[in-house]
Amino acid sequence: MTECQTCNERMIESLYGMLGPADKADFERHIAACPECAAEHAALGETLRVMDKRERPDPGPEFWGGYWDRLSRRMLWEATEEGRGPSLAARIGRLFARLPRWAYQTAGAAALLLVGILIGSRLIGPSGTATTGTPGTTAAVSAPAPAGAVAQAGDFIERSKVLLLGLVNFDPAVEDAYAFDLGGKKAASRLLAAEAPAIRQGLGEPGQRRLRELVTDLEVVMMQIANLEAGQDVDGVELIKQGVDRRGLFLKIDLDRLTRDARPAAAAGAAGPVKKSQV
Amino acid sequence: MDEDAIIEGMTRGDQRAFRELVDRFKKKVFYLALDMAGNPVDAEDISQEVFLKVYRSFGTFRKGAKLGSWLYRITYNASIDHLRRKGAAPQAMADEIIEASAGSDAGLPRRGAADPAADLELRQLQDRIACALDKVSPQEKAVFVLRHYEDLQLQDIALSLGLSVGSVKSYLFRAVRKLQKELGTTALISRAETSHD
Repeated sequence: MTECQTCNERMIESLYGMLGPADKADFERHIAACPECAAEHAALGETLRVMDKRERPDPGPEFWGGYWDRLSRRMLWEATEEGRGPSLAARIGRLFARLPRWAYQTAGAAALLLVGILIGSRLIGPSGTATTGTPGTTAAVSAPAPAGAVAQAGDFIERSKVLLLGLVNFDPAVEDAYAFDLGGKKAASRLLAAEAPAIRQGLGEPGQRRLRELVTDLEVVMMQIANLEAGQDVDGVELIKQGVDRRGLFLKIDLDRLTRDARPAAAAGAAGPVKKSQV
Repeated sequence: MDEDAIIEGMTRGDQRAFRELVDRFKKKVFYLALDMAGNPVDAEDISQEVFLKVYRSFGTFRKGAKLGSWLYRITYNASIDHLRRKGAAPQAMADEIIEASAGSDAGLPRRGAADPAADLELRQLQDRIACALDKVSPQEKAVFVLRHYEDLQLQDIALSLGLSVGSVKSYLFRAVRKLQKELGTTALISRAETSHD
Protein backbone atom coordinates (compact mmCIF):
# COMPACT_ATOMS: atom_id res chain seq x y z
CA MET A 1 0.00 0.00 0.00
CA THR A 2 1.45 3.36 -0.97
CA GLU A 3 1.82 6.19 1.47
CA CYS A 4 -0.76 8.20 -0.47
CA GLN A 5 -3.34 5.39 -0.10
CA THR A 6 -2.69 5.19 3.63
CA CYS A 7 -2.98 8.96 3.84
CA ASN A 8 -6.27 8.84 1.95
CA GLU A 9 -7.69 6.30 4.38
CA ARG A 10 -6.78 8.50 7.32
CA MET A 11 -7.99 11.73 5.74
CA ILE A 12 -11.41 11.78 7.42
CA GLU A 13 -10.03 10.87 10.85
CA SER A 14 -7.47 13.61 10.48
CA LEU A 15 -10.09 16.18 9.48
CA TYR A 16 -12.22 15.30 12.49
CA GLY A 17 -9.21 15.13 14.83
CA MET A 18 -9.65 11.43 15.52
CA LEU A 19 -6.11 10.20 14.79
CA GLY A 20 -3.92 8.87 17.58
CA PRO A 21 -0.57 10.65 18.20
CA ALA A 22 1.55 8.19 16.19
CA ASP A 23 -0.83 8.08 13.21
CA LYS A 24 -1.17 11.84 13.34
CA ALA A 25 2.60 12.29 13.17
CA ASP A 26 2.85 9.89 10.20
CA PHE A 27 -0.03 11.64 8.47
CA GLU A 28 1.43 15.11 8.94
CA ARG A 29 4.84 13.96 7.75
CA HIS A 30 3.30 12.65 4.54
CA ILE A 31 1.18 15.77 4.00
CA ALA A 32 4.26 17.95 4.37
CA ALA A 33 6.06 15.91 1.71
CA CYS A 34 3.17 15.27 -0.75
CA PRO A 35 1.58 18.38 -2.35
CA GLU A 36 -1.30 16.34 -3.91
CA CYS A 37 -2.42 14.87 -0.59
CA ALA A 38 -1.88 18.27 1.05
CA ALA A 39 -4.14 19.89 -1.57
CA GLU A 40 -6.86 17.29 -1.07
CA HIS A 41 -6.62 17.63 2.69
CA ALA A 42 -6.95 21.40 2.41
CA ALA A 43 -9.90 21.16 0.02
CA LEU A 44 -11.80 18.69 2.21
CA GLY A 45 -11.07 20.82 5.28
CA GLU A 46 -12.46 23.85 3.47
CA THR A 47 -15.59 21.88 2.59
CA LEU A 48 -16.16 21.03 6.24
CA ARG A 49 -15.70 24.68 7.18
CA VAL A 50 -18.37 25.63 4.61
CA MET A 51 -20.67 22.93 6.00
CA ASP A 52 -20.16 24.45 9.47
CA LYS A 53 -21.96 27.53 8.18
CA ARG A 54 -25.11 25.55 7.46
CA GLU A 55 -28.09 26.80 9.44
CA ARG A 56 -30.52 24.17 10.61
CA PRO A 57 -33.86 25.88 11.04
CA ASP A 58 -35.54 25.86 14.41
CA PRO A 59 -39.31 25.48 13.88
CA GLY A 60 -39.77 27.70 16.95
CA PRO A 61 -41.07 27.42 20.50
CA GLU A 62 -44.70 27.04 19.39
CA PHE A 63 -43.81 23.98 17.37
CA TRP A 64 -41.86 22.38 20.20
CA GLY A 65 -44.42 23.44 22.79
CA GLY A 66 -47.22 21.70 20.90
CA TYR A 67 -45.17 18.66 19.92
CA TRP A 68 -46.35 16.43 22.78
CA ASP A 69 -50.01 17.37 22.22
CA ARG A 70 -49.80 16.55 18.53
CA LEU A 71 -48.07 13.25 19.27
CA SER A 72 -50.71 12.39 21.91
CA ARG A 73 -53.46 13.15 19.44
CA ARG A 74 -51.90 10.85 16.89
CA MET A 75 -51.51 8.12 19.51
CA LEU A 76 -55.18 8.52 20.36
CA TRP A 77 -56.04 8.22 16.69
CA GLU A 78 -53.95 5.10 16.27
CA ALA A 79 -55.39 3.62 19.48
CA THR A 80 -58.93 4.23 18.17
CA GLU A 81 -57.96 2.44 14.98
CA GLU A 82 -56.52 -0.51 16.89
CA GLY A 83 -59.48 -0.63 19.27
CA ARG A 84 -61.74 -1.25 16.33
CA GLY A 85 -59.59 -4.18 15.36
CA PRO A 86 -57.75 -4.58 12.10
CA SER A 87 -60.73 -4.94 9.80
CA LEU A 88 -60.24 -5.97 6.21
CA ALA A 89 -60.94 -2.40 5.12
CA ALA A 90 -58.30 -1.07 7.51
CA ARG A 91 -55.74 -3.57 6.27
CA ILE A 92 -56.53 -2.66 2.70
CA GLY A 93 -56.29 1.00 3.72
CA ARG A 94 -52.81 0.44 5.17
CA LEU A 95 -51.80 -1.40 2.02
CA PHE A 96 -53.05 1.55 -0.05
CA ALA A 97 -51.07 3.96 2.12
CA ARG A 98 -47.86 2.21 1.15
CA LEU A 99 -48.59 2.33 -2.54
CA PRO A 100 -47.33 5.10 -4.79
CA ARG A 101 -49.84 7.63 -6.11
CA TRP A 102 -50.04 6.12 -9.61
CA ALA A 103 -51.09 2.75 -8.16
CA TYR A 104 -53.87 4.53 -6.30
CA GLN A 105 -55.12 6.16 -9.48
CA THR A 106 -54.98 2.88 -11.41
CA ALA A 107 -56.91 1.12 -8.64
CA GLY A 108 -59.51 3.89 -8.66
CA ALA A 109 -59.94 3.61 -12.42
CA ALA A 110 -60.21 -0.18 -12.18
CA ALA A 111 -62.81 0.11 -9.42
CA LEU A 112 -64.87 2.50 -11.54
CA LEU A 113 -64.65 0.13 -14.49
CA LEU A 114 -65.74 -2.78 -12.31
CA VAL A 115 -68.73 -0.88 -10.98
CA GLY A 116 -69.64 0.08 -14.54
CA ILE A 117 -69.48 -3.57 -15.64
CA LEU A 118 -71.59 -4.63 -12.66
CA ILE A 119 -74.25 -2.04 -13.41
CA GLY A 120 -74.18 -2.95 -17.09
CA SER A 121 -74.48 -6.68 -16.44
CA ARG A 122 -77.40 -6.14 -14.10
CA LEU A 123 -79.24 -3.89 -16.52
CA ILE A 124 -78.62 -5.86 -19.69
CA GLY A 125 -78.38 -9.40 -18.33
CA PRO A 126 -76.18 -12.27 -19.52
CA SER A 127 -77.96 -12.79 -22.84
CA GLY A 128 -77.94 -9.15 -23.78
CA THR A 129 -81.64 -8.76 -23.05
CA ALA A 130 -83.33 -7.16 -20.12
CA THR A 131 -83.27 -9.38 -17.05
CA THR A 132 -86.44 -11.24 -16.27
CA GLY A 133 -87.40 -12.56 -12.93
CA THR A 134 -90.15 -13.66 -10.70
CA PRO A 135 -91.64 -11.48 -8.05
CA GLY A 136 -89.83 -13.58 -5.51
CA THR A 137 -86.37 -12.94 -6.94
CA THR A 138 -87.14 -9.29 -7.38
CA ALA A 139 -87.83 -9.07 -3.72
CA ALA A 140 -84.50 -10.72 -2.98
CA VAL A 141 -82.55 -8.33 -5.20
CA SER A 142 -84.06 -5.18 -3.83
CA ALA A 143 -83.88 -6.51 -0.27
CA PRO A 144 -85.41 -3.50 1.33
CA ALA A 145 -82.88 -2.82 3.95
CA PRO A 146 -83.51 -0.02 6.36
CA ALA A 147 -83.61 2.51 3.56
CA GLY A 148 -83.93 5.36 6.06
CA ALA A 149 -80.64 4.43 7.75
CA VAL A 150 -78.84 4.08 4.43
CA ALA A 151 -80.17 7.41 3.24
CA GLN A 152 -79.17 9.01 6.52
CA ALA A 153 -75.69 7.51 6.19
CA GLY A 154 -75.48 8.80 2.63
CA ASP A 155 -76.42 12.28 3.74
CA PHE A 156 -73.90 12.11 6.58
CA ILE A 157 -71.15 10.95 4.20
CA GLU A 158 -71.89 13.69 1.67
CA ARG A 159 -71.84 16.43 4.31
CA SER A 160 -68.62 15.03 5.80
CA LYS A 161 -67.10 14.95 2.33
CA VAL A 162 -67.90 18.63 1.72
CA LEU A 163 -66.33 19.55 5.03
CA LEU A 164 -63.25 17.40 4.37
CA LEU A 165 -62.81 18.86 0.89
CA GLY A 166 -62.72 22.33 2.40
CA LEU A 167 -60.07 21.15 4.81
CA VAL A 168 -57.80 19.21 2.46
CA ASN A 169 -57.91 21.87 -0.22
CA PHE A 170 -56.61 24.45 2.23
CA ASP A 171 -52.95 25.12 1.49
CA PRO A 172 -51.28 27.29 4.15
CA ALA A 173 -48.41 27.97 1.72
CA VAL A 174 -50.62 29.93 -0.64
CA GLU A 175 -53.68 30.83 1.44
CA ASP A 176 -54.08 33.11 4.39
CA ALA A 177 -54.47 30.90 7.47
CA TYR A 178 -56.53 33.58 9.17
CA ALA A 179 -59.07 33.66 6.36
CA PHE A 180 -59.56 29.92 6.80
CA ASP A 181 -62.74 29.40 8.82
CA LEU A 182 -61.52 26.68 11.14
CA GLY A 183 -64.01 27.64 13.85
CA GLY A 184 -66.93 27.00 11.51
CA LYS A 185 -65.49 23.68 10.40
CA LYS A 186 -64.93 22.61 13.99
CA ALA A 187 -68.55 23.41 14.88
CA ALA A 188 -69.88 21.55 11.83
CA SER A 189 -67.69 18.52 12.48
CA ARG A 190 -68.81 18.44 16.13
CA LEU A 191 -72.43 18.19 14.93
CA LEU A 192 -71.54 15.48 12.43
CA ALA A 193 -69.59 13.51 15.05
CA ALA A 194 -72.63 13.70 17.33
CA GLU A 195 -74.90 12.32 14.56
CA ALA A 196 -72.63 9.41 13.70
CA PRO A 197 -73.37 6.94 16.57
CA ALA A 198 -77.13 6.85 15.81
CA ILE A 199 -76.43 6.34 12.10
CA ARG A 200 -74.01 3.54 12.85
CA GLN A 201 -76.56 1.79 15.05
CA GLY A 202 -79.07 1.88 12.21
CA LEU A 203 -76.64 0.05 9.92
CA GLY A 204 -76.96 -3.40 11.47
CA GLU A 205 -77.55 -5.46 8.34
CA PRO A 206 -74.76 -7.84 7.26
CA GLY A 207 -74.44 -6.13 3.87
CA GLN A 208 -73.89 -2.75 5.48
CA ARG A 209 -70.59 -3.49 7.18
CA ARG A 210 -68.55 -1.41 4.75
CA LEU A 211 -70.92 1.52 5.01
CA ARG A 212 -70.81 1.26 8.81
CA GLU A 213 -67.00 1.29 8.75
CA LEU A 214 -66.94 4.34 6.52
CA VAL A 215 -69.27 6.17 8.89
CA THR A 216 -66.99 5.18 11.79
CA ASP A 217 -63.89 6.38 9.91
CA LEU A 218 -65.56 9.70 9.22
CA GLU A 219 -66.75 9.96 12.81
CA VAL A 220 -63.12 9.66 14.01
CA VAL A 221 -61.99 12.35 11.56
CA MET A 222 -64.86 14.62 12.59
CA MET A 223 -63.87 14.19 16.23
CA GLN A 224 -60.30 15.07 15.36
CA ILE A 225 -61.39 18.22 13.54
CA ALA A 226 -63.67 19.16 16.42
CA ASN A 227 -60.73 18.74 18.82
CA LEU A 228 -58.28 20.91 16.87
CA GLU A 229 -56.67 23.60 18.94
CA ALA A 230 -58.28 27.01 19.09
CA GLY A 231 -56.94 29.52 16.57
CA GLN A 232 -55.21 28.45 13.39
CA ASP A 233 -53.99 24.93 14.15
CA VAL A 234 -52.24 24.50 10.81
CA ASP A 235 -50.15 21.59 12.11
CA GLY A 236 -53.27 19.80 13.33
CA VAL A 237 -54.98 20.37 9.98
CA GLU A 238 -51.93 18.96 8.22
CA LEU A 239 -52.05 15.82 10.38
CA ILE A 240 -55.73 15.32 9.59
CA LYS A 241 -55.03 15.78 5.88
CA GLN A 242 -52.34 13.13 6.07
CA GLY A 243 -54.70 10.80 7.93
CA VAL A 244 -57.43 11.28 5.33
CA ASP A 245 -54.92 10.62 2.57
CA ARG A 246 -53.41 7.60 4.31
CA ARG A 247 -56.80 5.99 4.86
CA GLY A 248 -57.94 6.67 1.31
CA LEU A 249 -61.15 8.19 2.66
CA PHE A 250 -62.09 10.02 -0.53
CA LEU A 251 -61.70 6.83 -2.54
CA LYS A 252 -63.92 4.98 -0.05
CA ILE A 253 -66.49 7.79 -0.16
CA ASP A 254 -66.58 7.73 -3.96
CA LEU A 255 -66.86 3.95 -4.06
CA ASP A 256 -69.70 4.07 -1.55
CA ARG A 257 -71.46 6.72 -3.62
CA LEU A 258 -71.13 4.59 -6.76
CA THR A 259 -72.44 1.53 -4.93
CA ARG A 260 -75.43 3.44 -3.57
CA ASP A 261 -76.15 4.97 -6.97
CA ALA A 262 -75.97 1.53 -8.55
CA ARG A 263 -78.56 0.02 -6.18
CA PRO A 264 -81.64 1.96 -7.35
CA ALA A 265 -80.62 1.32 -10.96
CA ALA A 266 -80.28 -2.38 -10.31
CA ALA A 267 -83.53 -2.41 -8.41
CA ALA A 268 -85.24 -0.57 -11.25
CA GLY A 269 -83.75 -3.00 -13.74
CA ALA A 270 -85.12 -5.90 -11.75
CA ALA A 271 -88.48 -4.27 -11.12
CA GLY A 272 -89.19 -3.36 -14.79
CA PRO A 273 -89.86 -6.86 -16.21
CA VAL A 274 -92.12 -7.71 -13.29
CA LYS A 275 -94.38 -4.87 -14.28
CA LYS A 276 -94.32 -6.12 -17.89
CA SER A 277 -95.37 -9.59 -16.84
CA GLN A 278 -98.13 -8.13 -14.73
CA VAL A 279 -99.42 -6.25 -17.77
CA MET B 1 -34.90 11.66 35.17
CA ASP B 2 -31.68 10.08 33.86
CA GLU B 3 -31.47 7.64 30.96
CA ASP B 4 -31.54 4.54 33.19
CA ALA B 5 -34.65 5.82 34.94
CA ILE B 6 -36.32 6.45 31.57
CA ILE B 7 -35.48 2.93 30.42
CA GLU B 8 -36.75 1.45 33.68
CA GLY B 9 -39.92 3.52 33.50
CA MET B 10 -40.52 2.59 29.88
CA THR B 11 -40.08 -1.09 30.73
CA ARG B 12 -42.82 -0.69 33.37
CA GLY B 13 -45.03 1.15 30.88
CA ASP B 14 -44.80 4.43 32.80
CA GLN B 15 -46.33 7.27 30.76
CA ARG B 16 -44.15 9.89 32.48
CA ALA B 17 -41.03 8.07 31.36
CA PHE B 18 -42.32 8.09 27.80
CA ARG B 19 -43.01 11.80 27.97
CA GLU B 20 -39.52 12.39 29.36
CA LEU B 21 -38.05 10.33 26.53
CA VAL B 22 -39.99 12.35 23.95
CA ASP B 23 -38.96 15.66 25.52
CA ARG B 24 -35.33 14.61 25.66
CA PHE B 25 -34.99 13.19 22.16
CA LYS B 26 -37.60 15.00 20.07
CA LYS B 27 -35.14 17.52 18.65
CA LYS B 28 -32.48 14.95 17.78
CA VAL B 29 -35.06 12.69 16.12
CA PHE B 30 -36.74 15.59 14.32
CA TYR B 31 -33.49 17.03 12.95
CA LEU B 32 -32.20 13.71 11.67
CA ALA B 33 -35.58 13.14 10.00
CA LEU B 34 -35.47 16.68 8.61
CA ASP B 35 -32.00 16.17 7.18
CA MET B 36 -33.09 12.91 5.62
CA ALA B 37 -36.56 13.83 4.35
CA GLY B 38 -35.84 17.42 3.43
CA ASN B 39 -38.98 19.14 4.71
CA PRO B 40 -40.39 19.89 8.15
CA VAL B 41 -43.85 18.39 7.56
CA ASP B 42 -42.44 14.99 6.63
CA ALA B 43 -39.88 15.31 9.42
CA GLU B 44 -42.60 15.72 12.02
CA ASP B 45 -44.54 12.81 10.59
CA ILE B 46 -41.43 10.61 10.68
CA SER B 47 -40.50 11.71 14.19
CA GLN B 48 -44.00 10.87 15.43
CA GLU B 49 -43.78 7.45 13.78
CA VAL B 50 -40.49 6.93 15.60
CA PHE B 51 -41.98 7.70 19.00
CA LEU B 52 -45.06 5.59 18.30
CA LYS B 53 -42.78 2.70 17.43
CA VAL B 54 -40.74 3.26 20.58
CA TYR B 55 -43.92 3.31 22.66
CA ARG B 56 -45.28 0.14 21.13
CA SER B 57 -42.13 -1.92 20.90
CA PHE B 58 -39.96 -0.84 23.76
CA GLY B 59 -39.71 -4.54 24.61
CA THR B 60 -37.30 -4.93 21.71
CA PHE B 61 -34.86 -2.42 23.23
CA ARG B 62 -31.70 -4.32 24.14
CA LYS B 63 -30.67 -3.84 27.75
CA GLY B 64 -27.32 -2.08 27.99
CA ALA B 65 -27.70 -0.39 24.62
CA LYS B 66 -27.72 3.38 24.25
CA LEU B 67 -31.17 4.87 24.00
CA GLY B 68 -29.90 7.58 21.63
CA SER B 69 -28.34 5.07 19.23
CA TRP B 70 -31.53 3.01 19.21
CA LEU B 71 -33.63 6.08 18.45
CA TYR B 72 -31.27 7.18 15.68
CA ARG B 73 -31.54 3.76 14.10
CA ILE B 74 -35.34 3.80 14.21
CA THR B 75 -35.34 7.34 12.81
CA TYR B 76 -32.97 6.40 10.03
CA ASN B 77 -35.07 3.35 9.10
CA ALA B 78 -38.31 5.33 9.28
CA SER B 79 -36.78 8.03 7.06
CA ILE B 80 -35.64 5.50 4.49
CA ASP B 81 -39.12 3.89 4.51
CA HIS B 82 -40.62 7.31 4.06
CA LEU B 83 -38.36 8.09 1.11
CA ARG B 84 -39.18 4.73 -0.46
CA ARG B 85 -42.90 5.33 0.00
CA LYS B 86 -42.56 8.70 -1.63
CA GLY B 87 -40.72 6.94 -4.43
CA ALA B 88 -38.24 9.74 -4.85
CA ALA B 89 -34.94 10.97 -3.61
CA PRO B 90 -35.19 13.56 -0.86
CA GLN B 91 -36.08 16.99 -2.12
CA ALA B 92 -33.54 19.74 -1.85
CA MET B 93 -34.01 21.43 1.47
CA ALA B 94 -33.55 24.84 -0.04
CA ASP B 95 -37.07 26.14 -0.49
CA GLU B 96 -39.05 24.80 2.41
CA ILE B 97 -36.26 24.91 4.93
CA ILE B 98 -35.07 28.36 4.04
CA GLU B 99 -38.68 29.54 4.01
CA ALA B 100 -39.18 28.03 7.43
CA SER B 101 -36.00 29.46 8.87
CA ALA B 102 -36.03 32.88 7.31
CA GLY B 103 -39.70 33.48 6.65
CA SER B 104 -39.12 35.22 3.32
CA ASP B 105 -38.55 34.36 -0.29
CA ALA B 106 -35.65 31.98 -0.88
CA GLY B 107 -32.67 33.62 -2.47
CA LEU B 108 -33.71 37.11 -1.47
CA PRO B 109 -32.37 39.09 1.46
CA ARG B 110 -34.63 39.19 4.48
CA ARG B 111 -36.65 42.33 4.90
CA GLY B 112 -35.10 44.49 7.58
CA ALA B 113 -31.76 42.65 7.47
CA ALA B 114 -28.98 44.85 8.88
CA ASP B 115 -26.72 44.12 5.91
CA PRO B 116 -28.80 42.98 2.92
CA ALA B 117 -25.74 42.09 0.83
CA ALA B 118 -24.29 39.87 3.55
CA ASP B 119 -27.71 38.40 4.21
CA LEU B 120 -28.18 37.60 0.53
CA GLU B 121 -24.76 35.99 0.42
CA LEU B 122 -25.57 33.90 3.46
CA ARG B 123 -28.88 32.78 2.00
CA GLN B 124 -27.26 31.84 -1.28
CA LEU B 125 -24.67 29.85 0.62
CA GLN B 126 -27.46 28.04 2.50
CA ASP B 127 -29.04 27.29 -0.85
CA ARG B 128 -25.81 25.86 -2.22
CA ILE B 129 -25.26 23.75 0.88
CA ALA B 130 -28.81 22.39 0.68
CA CYS B 131 -28.38 21.48 -2.98
CA ALA B 132 -25.01 19.86 -2.27
CA LEU B 133 -26.49 17.77 0.56
CA ASP B 134 -29.26 16.69 -1.78
CA LYS B 135 -26.69 15.06 -4.06
CA VAL B 136 -25.43 12.79 -1.29
CA SER B 137 -27.04 9.34 -0.90
CA PRO B 138 -29.32 8.81 2.14
CA GLN B 139 -26.80 6.54 3.86
CA GLU B 140 -23.90 8.93 3.26
CA LYS B 141 -26.05 11.81 4.39
CA ALA B 142 -27.07 10.06 7.62
CA VAL B 143 -23.44 9.29 8.44
CA PHE B 144 -22.32 12.83 7.64
CA VAL B 145 -25.12 14.50 9.59
CA LEU B 146 -24.57 12.32 12.66
CA ARG B 147 -20.83 13.00 12.61
CA HIS B 148 -20.77 16.63 11.60
CA TYR B 149 -23.86 18.07 13.29
CA GLU B 150 -24.61 15.62 16.09
CA ASP B 151 -20.93 15.12 16.90
CA LEU B 152 -21.28 11.34 17.25
CA GLN B 153 -18.16 9.17 17.33
CA LEU B 154 -17.66 6.76 14.42
CA GLN B 155 -18.38 3.78 16.70
CA ASP B 156 -21.68 5.33 17.81
CA ILE B 157 -22.67 6.05 14.22
CA ALA B 158 -21.83 2.45 13.34
CA LEU B 159 -24.04 1.24 16.22
CA SER B 160 -26.85 3.60 15.30
CA LEU B 161 -26.97 2.66 11.65
CA GLY B 162 -26.01 -0.98 11.98
CA LEU B 163 -22.78 -0.58 9.98
CA SER B 164 -19.15 -1.46 10.57
CA VAL B 165 -16.79 1.36 11.58
CA GLY B 166 -14.95 0.84 8.28
CA SER B 167 -18.16 1.38 6.31
CA VAL B 168 -18.93 4.50 8.33
CA LYS B 169 -15.50 5.93 7.47
CA SER B 170 -16.00 5.07 3.85
CA TYR B 171 -19.48 6.66 3.68
CA LEU B 172 -18.22 9.74 5.48
CA PHE B 173 -15.28 10.16 3.12
CA ARG B 174 -17.53 9.76 0.09
CA ALA B 175 -20.03 12.23 1.49
CA VAL B 176 -17.38 14.89 2.12
CA ARG B 177 -15.89 14.43 -1.32
CA LYS B 178 -19.29 14.73 -2.98
CA LEU B 179 -20.03 17.84 -0.96
CA GLN B 180 -16.67 19.28 -1.94
CA LYS B 181 -17.43 18.67 -5.59
CA GLU B 182 -20.89 20.20 -5.34
CA LEU B 183 -19.78 23.20 -3.35
CA GLY B 184 -17.35 24.23 -6.03
CA THR B 185 -14.05 23.54 -4.37
CA THR B 186 -13.41 21.24 -7.32
CA ALA B 187 -10.40 23.11 -8.65
CA LEU B 188 -8.26 21.90 -5.81
CA ILE B 189 -9.47 18.33 -5.88
CA SER B 190 -9.34 17.94 -9.66
CA ARG B 191 -5.78 19.24 -9.60
CA ALA B 192 -4.95 16.73 -6.90
CA GLU B 193 -6.65 13.89 -8.85
CA THR B 194 -4.81 14.80 -12.04
CA SER B 195 -1.47 14.78 -10.25
CA HIS B 196 -2.27 11.38 -8.67
CA ASP B 197 -3.22 9.90 -12.03
